[in-house]
Amino acid sequence: MPIRVVLAEDSYLVREGVRRLLETEPDIDLVDVCEDYDSLLEAISSADPDVVLTDIRMPPTGTDEGIRAAERLRQTHPAAGVVLLSQYADPAYALAFLEHGTEGRAYLLKERVADLDHLLAAIREVAEGGSVIDPKVVETLVTARSQAAQSPLARLTPREREVLSLLAEGKSNAAVADGLVLSERAVEKHINSIFAKLGLPEAREAHRRVKAVLLFLAEQR
Amino acid sequence: MATRPVPVLIVDDQAFFRSAARAVLAVMPGFTAVGEAWSGEEAVARVEELSPELVLMDIHLPGISGIEATRRIRAAHPDTAVMLLSTYKAEDLPADARECGAIAYLHKEDFEPEVLERIWTDHQPVG
Repeated sequence: MPIRVVLAEDSYLVREGVRRLLETEPDIDLVDVCEDYDSLLEAISSADPDVVLTDIRMPPTGTDEGIRAAERLRQTHPAAGVVLLSQYADPAYALAFLEHGTEGRAYLLKERVADLDHLLAAIREVAEGGSVIDPKVVETLVTARSQAAQSPLARLTPREREVLSLLAEGKSNAAVADGLVLSERAVEKHINSIFAKLGLPEAREAHRRVKAVLLFLAEQR
Repeated sequence: MATRPVPVLIVDDQAFFRSAARAVLAVMPGFTAVGEAWSGEEAVARVEELSPELVLMDIHLPGISGIEATRRIRAAHPDTAVMLLSTYKAEDLPADARECGAIAYLHKEDFEPEVLERIWTDHQPVG
């Protein structure tokens, strides 16, 4: 079954470029293309998509329409994934987008849409309930965070920070191990150490992972 | 007699934007994409070869910048118009962008058929 995608983007150039890219993919069915918030809501309601690929700023206000649509989707279509496209690595937007959960959510910089593999990977990931955060956004957060001396994140070793930034991108332990050329067991140890240093109590593993990532994002506020 | 469409060269190092610009031109009967280039040097060579009337030029390119490429193209082919396209905010544009001989600067987010049409019409000498 192809992944049913609704695209919302007010920039003509990006919209037409993405449309062209996605129309060549056999496992993607681009069911609707919108230019503003209201038409996006209508498309979601009529097309019932698996994934919404949306710009953040669109008419009518040009501020945070994409984030508001994603938040609304949690209530109306909880199984639908969202790939948010952002012009700049903005921690405030990332936090607003992810604060109620990272499942089925991807935050990508627009420059990534030029890379078809990257865009398709994000669409497929959120369709399965996974999450992807653009490495540049993560990097912005890590830099800002590590400058905050009082932050619990300041207690992390550089290696633990690397592990956490990969978790924030939605990677599994195996993928983190691959990325950093470590054993999975070593990654688990780092993660346990991160949880301890961030003061996250024993709970479900998935819950603690999300908490660690959100803590990472939250101190941007 | 139908007017001949304006031949356009698209210059961008990202295939995505070249393809997107082609998609924009495809819906504009007054324009036709005649070629693409991914670097400033290649743009200069392609102008020589294809004689486009309009070049859509990205600023940030491998090798010489779009601004330098515009300068060279305008010096060798004063009849070829160049429109700069990039993701710079207007206030962050490199200073020499305004002096390289381009007819206009447009943010990629604002590039659409009506805008291109208007800039081209305004650029044309009357009569």
